[in-house]
Amino acid sequence: MPDNGAYYHAAYVAAGTILIGYALSVWWRLRAARRSPGSGAPGERG
Amino acid sequence: MTNSILRDAAPVHAGRTSAARRTGVDWMLVVAIAAVAGTFVRAMLFTPVEARQGPAQKIFYVHAPSAWVAFLAFGLVAVAGLLYLWLRDLRLDRIAESSAEVGLAFTTIVLTTGPLWGKPVWGTWWTWDARLTLTLFLWFIYAGYLVLRGAVEDRAQRARYAAVLGALGALLIPFIHLSVYLFRTLHPQPIVMKPSAPSLPGEMLTTLLLAFASFTLLYVALLRARYRLATIRDERDDAVAAEDAG
Repeated sequence: MPDNGAYYHAAYVAAGTILIGYALSVWWRLRAARRSPGSGAPGERG
Repeated sequence: MTNSILRDAAPVHAGRTSAARRTGVDWMLVVAIAAVAGTFVRAMLFTPVEARQGPAQKIFYVHAPSAWVAFLAFGLVAVAGLLYLWLRDLRLDRIAESSAEVGLAFTTIVLTTGPLWGKPVWGTWWTWDARLTLTLFLWFIYAGYLVLRGAVEDRAQRARYAAVLGALGALLIPFIHLSVYLFRTLHPQPIVMKPSAPSLPGEMLTTLLLAFASFTLLYVALLRARYRLATIRDERDDAVAAEDAG
């Protein structure tokens, strides 16, 4: 059996990084949008 | 799914409190991320290693579900865009915009994990064959779609242009799926999404189906969150415009 475990570990790390990074970017932008004036979500401000 | 996304945006309009708004946590997103993490653990620790390709074959459990979600996302961009051209409902445009961005993230995973699988199995990171090249084109089309959206100021005009590009871009999807039959390619033919029964041993098939389910759940959760962001942004823009006008 070929010894190529490093490739699959790298692929899982890359996929996890992209998914978590993107989820965090959406969460961060959502948080910023809710806190901005005129967002229509007064309960979320401050 | 569309109804659920639209319903989820309603508290923003109505000012109702929901569990997510009280705690600031999107529980569907948390559950979806946990499901994907669980799938990763099952694939790495509890799924047999394929004898010929070795451990690199396990990239399959990330690569194939990401491709499925990317196709689903861009398919929804096309459907929502076409419905927008018909109904002129800006909620459909927001669904298309949100789905395109999430789909682009999953296509990035496809284009990252593919070369990491190709190098140990084919002996090369990349080859300009039909499936790989068309998938790269798909990434560029939807990256261009998002750039286009950022470049057009008028909301209705932006939605119209984006709907046309989104629908045209999705025409690539069937070509990408069928490219392994139509052209000579290094890329293997489908082993699950094909007319005959899946050609995978039971344990591997179970892991793959769990991966498809958890990635699809994550797509829906990200789409909901991204749609909410687009709704708040549009409401804020409306409020600013009304203030300026007043």
